[in-house]
Amino acid sequence: MWKLQEYRIATNPAEAVALMRKGPGKGAYIAGGTDMLLEHPACDFVVDINRAGIGDVARTPGGDLFLGAAATLQELVGNEFVTGFAGGAVSMAASQCGNRPVRSTATVGGNLCNALPSADMAPVLLALDATCYIADEDYQESLPLTDFFVGPRLTVLEDRLLVGVALPGECAGWRCASHKLTRTAEDISLVQVAVALGVDDGRIQEARIALGAVAPVPMRASLAETMLTGQEIAAITPDVMGDVAAIAAGECDPLDDHRASAEYRRDMVSVLTRRLVTRILSDDGDNSQDGAA
Amino acid sequence: MNISLNLNGTATDWEVAPGQTLLQALRASGAFSVKLGCETGDCGSCTVLLDGQPVNSCVVPAARVNGSRVTTLEGLLGDDLMIRLQTELVEQGAVQCGYCIPGMLISLYALLKQGPPIDEETIRHALTGNLCRCTGYVKPVEAARAVAAVLEETS
Ligand SMILES: Cc1cc2nc3c(=O)[nH]c(=O)nc-3n(C[C@H](O)[C@H](O)[C@H](O)COP(=O)(O)OP(=O)(O)OC[C@H]3O[C@@H](n4cnc5c(N)ncnc54)[C@H](O)[C@@H]3O)c2cc1C
Ligand code: FES
Ligand code: FES
Repeated sequence: MWKLQEYRIATNPAEAVALMRKGPGKGAYIAGGTDMLLEHPACDFVVDINRAGIGDVARTPGGDLFLGAAATLQELVGNEFVTGFAGGAVSMAASQCGNRPVRSTATVGGNLCNALPSADMAPVLLALDATCYIADEDYQESLPLTDFFVGPRLTVLEDRLLVGVALPGECAGWRCASHKLTRTAEDISLVQVAVALGVDDGRIQEARIALGAVAPVPMRASLAETMLTGQEIAAITPDVMGDVAAIAAGECDPLDDHRASAEYRRDMVSVLTRRLVTRILSDDGDNSQDGAA
Repeated sequence: MNISLNLNGTATDWEVAPGQTLLQALRASGAFSVKLGCETGDCGSCTVLLDGQPVNSCVVPAARVNGSRVTTLEGLLGDDLMIRLQTELVEQGAVQCGYCIPGMLISLYALLKQGPPIDEETIRHALTGNLCRCTGYVKPVEAARAVAAVLEETS
């Protein structure tokens, strides 16, 4: 059994941070516990945040999509604000995470805070320009998700609480798709790529390409994004697409491990980037109006 | 620590350790339909309903269910839908060693309870967390489809 002295339950974010700092000994937040109960991290107490009022999913008056940190992955699969945002890309990514019963308790915040390079919710949220909201005892701070990950299993949080992430309303009409490449349907990602394009007037106005499991932290392929930005769709020939995919592959920094070689991972970044951009651009089912506030 | 929950319709108090899992607490309380398999959230033999949602009880802290409703197969033995599902699994020949069956029943029950649309895809999706090493999935899927068809006719 996991050696824990105490299980504390927080009823709001400030209390959660206070309970975390109260001691004695070392504490950790717990949400679904689907990572923690496998890993049994060494700590004296945990602070349960499932009842801290940070589990809501909402569209803000400004049109942003807010995902509370304690929202479960199953909630993201079915919630109509989420299925109606950017073609439902976030719901799709959540539906490929773990299995059905795990998704009932696994949270989006836990996935991000565990900060594995392969965290499956990270690429799609990076591609949709997510902002993180972080609570301290007496203030809240926000920062781009790109700045949230510091290294494998390390975030900027220290002992602060992730309250949620917000996706800007402008992204609601973007076309977005991601692909999780795995050995088996159940396994963690070998490579994950998410692409989001803001298309208007036959031109790519905004481009985001995010990569998972191919660097110490989930990352954006910003050079490849720059190549696509401003391009007329008609001008994106297979040659141009090949260059964009090669640049994205050059930007990542994968490892060799028992799942796959670094070389294979890099190749797959190229293949998946090309495939996703091509698929999004050829998708005539114009979803740019879907879910607009 | 002391927690209170609704277990299979009955108000229940448990003394649990802070690091205990819901699986351990349930078996200690005599709910032996909840099987211990992998203890890593992969096999589904420990599936129960937490406030109506299927969860793997081996990756749920027991302390978390304070104030919640927990349902195991023991709590559904007189339930019409559960009886229909059990009968259909037996008739389709889906049950061999039986170790996976309580978890599989809970997952399928949660899906059927939620109502239409129920087709092969939704059934297979509902079973993503339940491994069966004897029968496989064709017969369980067929059994669930048969029950879904009856539900549709009678609704
Ligand atoms: C069978 C199985 C399959 C899985 N498959 C996948 C998969 O395909 N893809 C994938 O990415 N993951 C997978 N996982 C891992 C896990 O389910 C996910 O990462 C999940 O989203 C974690 O969320 P949680 O709420 O359970 O996190 P917890 O275990 O509660 O917490 C994880 C970490 O985050 C911290 N934390 C949680 N919430 C906060 C917060 N609000 N603020 C600050 N810190 C916080 C905790 O202290 C801990 O360090 C799987 C797990 C299992 C058991
Ligand atoms: S014992 Fe819980 S999923 Fe296997
Ligand atoms: S019947 Fe034996 S594991 Fe399913």
